[in-house]
Amino acid sequence: MKSRASSLLRWLTLISIFLAGSQLHAQYERIQLRVYGLDCELCARGVAASVTRLVGVKFVQVHLKEGIVDVVLKPDSNFRMSSLRKRIRENGFRPMEAKVTALGKFQGSRFEVTGSGESYEVSVAAQKSAPPIELTFEAR
Amino acid sequence: MTVPRRGVSLMFLAPLVLVSQAWSDAHGPAFGYSTTVLGAGDSSVETTVMERLGTVMIGPVVAYGFRQNLQVSLSGPFNVNKGYHPVERSEAAMPGIPSVEGRVAWRFYDKLSGVATRTESTLFVGFSGTTQHLLRDDGRPLEREPGLFGAAAASRITRRYYWSAGAGYQYYGAWDSGKLDRESDSLLSSVVVGWRPPGFDRDYPKPDVRFFLETTGNWVGQAERDASEPPGGGGGQPQPHFVPASPKASSSTSQSGVIVLPNSGGNSIFSGPSALVTLKSMGFQGGLQFALRDERNGIQPAERYRAIVGVSYYFLGGRGKR
Repeated sequence: MKSRASSLLRWLTLISIFLAGSQLHAQYERIQLRVYGLDCELCARGVAASVTRLVGVKFVQVHLKEGIVDVVLKPDSNFRMSSLRKRIRENGFRPMEAKVTALGKFQGSRFEVTGSGESYEVSVAAQKSAPPIELTFEAR
Repeated sequence: MTVPRRGVSLMFLAPLVLVSQAWSDAHGPAFGYSTTVLGAGDSSVETTVMERLGTVMIGPVVAYGFRQNLQVSLSGPFNVNKGYHPVERSEAAMPGIPSVEGRVAWRFYDKLSGVATRTESTLFVGFSGTTQHLLRDDGRPLEREPGLFGAAAASRITRRYYWSAGAGYQYYGAWDSGKLDRESDSLLSSVVVGWRPPGFDRDYPKPDVRFFLETTGNWVGQAERDASEPPGGGGGQPQPHFVPASPKASSSTSQSGVIVLPNSGGNSIFSGPSALVTLKSMGFQGGLQFALRDERNGIQPAERYRAIVGVSYYFLGGRGKR
């Protein structure tokens, strides 16, 4: 009887850990992505419309002349940078470097965005500003 | 004057209507070839109205982007009034003859080299079935079926300038009519330069304006009629703009049993301005071309100008939530 209760407790613990892990959301806050090939208002409108439909996106602004897609994310979303880049390519354009503001932690020289599984090599200057909870950096 | 085509073509093409949306060329030039394609999951509807020799042709087009470089379109141009209409392709996105056309566009090359800069090339393949037959004063309507279309275009596009060149060939067969009739094949080539004046170079989401100078060259082959069939009398009233066949123009009968129609075919070069305005999810186009050269075989009415206007609506947003 005791061993059964112990086994049940073990399973409940495991399930709790699993559920807690699933609640870890990506912590991208803002991404300013440079995009090549945007040459008209309709192109910008298409990109804005399709990026807006990505889960976790709060607001999108396209700066056509600078070729910048400015994405503001909802807190605690599951947003991934790879999804944004893929969506840009699906629109027929080329995603380039990005200025990213995100929450995360350093793993060596790499900055890992919390819960996203995505990490970036960041500059030494950025690392010296550690210990960062929130960091703005160039992502390529 | 036109007569309804038997329903076989539409029945054959109906599945295309059901399973595909299509695309339009309304991102760019009004007459010439454009390389631009819709984004994956985007779609559009467009209606173009063209006036040639007093005949008005309306060309509805629906479009769908399967991938960022692959689109399918369906267009169904038809004549809304009676009159002579040249048979050559009237613009890159529209067959010259009333028909239903399904097309695939594959942007096989693109180089996105900078902000608002791209160089790209696109191939087009189309298949059409005639929906209306134009009566002719030199005999019964030609049994032309079906049409095949292939084209290629290349563009260099920046925020300020636009260059594009393309060429396409329209072929008409005689596969299901049981006759040797064949409509004129035609080749349409285009060279387009575009310019966005600094005053219109405003940032999204303000309306966008672009101006073009479009030059198109047409070569049209001669039509053929099955020599074993009685020529018929055309079956209708004389056309307002159609000049009856010249008595001096003699038809030649080839060994294959077809009569090459003397009052068909020719070549022409047209040039003129056009403009594209996009506002929110809509695009508005208009253009006017004038004949620089118009040499048609036999006696055919001279085409001095072509006018076109079009409006498009785009359903943007891609593949939805992800």
